[in-house]
Amino acid sequence: MRVDEKREPLQEIIEKEIEAALAEETAHLDPEKAAELREKIRRRVREEMEREIRLRTAAERREEERRRREERRREKRHEEGEMFQRFNRNFRFQHIVMFTSVILLIITGMPIKFPNFILSRFVVAMWGGIGNSTIVHRIGAGMLIYFMVHHLFYTILSRDGRRDFMLLIPMPKDVRDAARNIRYFLGRTTEKPRFGRFSYIEKFDYWAVYWGCVIMIGSGALLWGESIALKFFPKFVLDIAHEAHSDEALLATLAIVIWHFYNVHFNPDRFPGTLMWWHGQISEHEMKDHHPLEYEEIMAKRAKQEAAEVINR
Amino acid sequence: MKGRVICAVIAALLPGIGSLGAVPSAEARVSLEKCTLCHGKPEFRKILVDGKIRDLFVTADTLKGSVHEKKTCVDCHFDISEIPHRERPRRIACTHCHYKGNAEGAPQSDAYLAYFDSVHGKAIAKGNSKAPLCQDCHGNHNILKAKNPEAAVARTKVAETCGRCHIEIYAQYKTSIHGVALGKGIVEAPSCTGCHGEHKIYGHEDPKSTVYATHVADQCSKCHASVSVMGKFGIETEQVATYKESFHGVASQFGSRTVANCASCHGTHDIRPAEDPLSSVNPKNVPKTCGKCHPGANPNFAVGKMHIDAKKKEAGIVYYVASFFKYLTIGTMLALIAHIFLDMYGRTRRLRGEK
Repeated sequence: MRVDEKREPLQEIIEKEIEAALAEETAHLDPEKAAELREKIRRRVREEMEREIRLRTAAERREEERRRREERRREKRHEEGEMFQRFNRNFRFQHIVMFTSVILLIITGMPIKFPNFILSRFVVAMWGGIGNSTIVHRIGAGMLIYFMVHHLFYTILSRDGRRDFMLLIPMPKDVRDAARNIRYFLGRTTEKPRFGRFSYIEKFDYWAVYWGCVIMIGSGALLWGESIALKFFPKFVLDIAHEAHSDEALLATLAIVIWHFYNVHFNPDRFPGTLMWWHGQISEHEMKDHHPLEYEEIMAKRAKQEAAEVINR
Repeated sequence: MKGRVICAVIAALLPGIGSLGAVPSAEARVSLEKCTLCHGKPEFRKILVDGKIRDLFVTADTLKGSVHEKKTCVDCHFDISEIPHRERPRRIACTHCHYKGNAEGAPQSDAYLAYFDSVHGKAIAKGNSKAPLCQDCHGNHNILKAKNPEAAVARTKVAETCGRCHIEIYAQYKTSIHGVALGKGIVEAPSCTGCHGEHKIYGHEDPKSTVYATHVADQCSKCHASVSVMGKFGIETEQVATYKESFHGVASQFGSRTVANCASCHGTHDIRPAEDPLSSVNPKNVPKTCGKCHPGANPNFAVGKMHIDAKKKEAGIVYYVASFFKYLTIGTMLALIAHIFLDMYGRTRRLRGEK
């Protein structure tokens, strides 16, 4: 109803204008032809207008909704300020695929590494026996391989992917940041290291996953296609693959459960975890706190844009 | 009046009570004499329809030396009441005496109960007349204690006894390392019953069986994991541990029947040492043996040790890979945990208001 009320006066004004313009244009034609043409144009214009209004109102409704949500949030937590989009939808999707697959792999793989651990029997029985458990492990493996391929393409083909990859390359600054951070923890300095888009902690996580994926997928592929591998390699190659797969699995699990969980869940700043993996947004407050250099960069870019707009106007 | 009747009844019963103890021995002697009338003749035999000859020659000495020395014919052949027998005498039911709580002086054991549940007992119950009863393994008249080396079920003889029906398996076993060792008088070597059990023998596809796919490793490791047994013959015992740590062993422990157990590679009745060219684990035969499950295993695959322990230096490159990951894991985790604790320490300081 509201949409119609809004539309009525606007439509009337525009129709009157069109009417006038048409009358002027068709003045020199014979009346019959003119009437036909007028009717045709009127119909076409009305269709076009209705379409546009429909689109605009939908977009407006969405925009309105977003604004209201933002306001509510700001009222509740005024100190956080504006929200910045930190991870795009593609990147969040990759993270979800990865952690789903890694959880599946860990809970189906660990009982095989520790068969005598008391829970192992129950975990295997939960899937309905070792046969099903190994199938689930392979499903997880398939997801992880998909993630790896997806991420490689993302890194090469997407603009955000290329930018993030360049920013993730370890730099001498990261060593300095780490050293300063430790001095800050110990109270030797009051200044926190100023991180860019990715801190040395996040860079370590990223490259740890890279190394883990290469080792696990490489050795896992040999063990998965063992009948093919046997055709080309002596047994010790498979033994190495088995050993590496098993040991790297433990390292990765420990790193995730201890290090990553501390940084994103048990850390007092974030406990019990944020929804950043879901909406990908970071508050201004957190941005200033954890990624000051990136924040400054964004602000500088914005100021430049505004200045450019002013000039253009 | 009443008293007289009771006296008369007692008088009538007395001879009967007196005869309870005395009569059986007398009757037994009588029965033996009666039986040997015919059975005592050496040519007393019966030609069966299929041409086989059943020897029916029995003398007073037949039971001599056996555990049933003091028994007589009708103690077991209790269904015989007429001479000549109108019906064919039935097979002996040993459980007539051999049950727990019997008053006959038979061993007080109910081990035989397991027989009825076993593959042989079930076959009998189904009506398979070829399946063995007690006497088929333990012997007829010449039953001896199992500890007696002459007994049909003695450790050194039992394979032959089983082999009377399981001929092909007996032939395989006899030339296998276990059969040869037992032949040489090494009593540690297993005979049929060593792996399959005595009365509780089940088919290898029965989960109760000691040789069921997931039980094989346990069964073999009873001897092969024991240093005191294997040490005598210079055989390594770590095979069991390395198998249990391998994927085959782990999956088997979780109940997978498709993965390899000891017998899948080493054979069942025809186990031979790896140096033997006929052995399934001889390097020449390894590709074929592995190829049973992993089609296309190449000869290259047989190079190197099969049972490896990554914690020992003999494992070669695998040992170094394992060590690399060990120190990588320890190093990384120490660094990460130290970082976490430093972070927490710093936060605590700041919370307290220290700078």
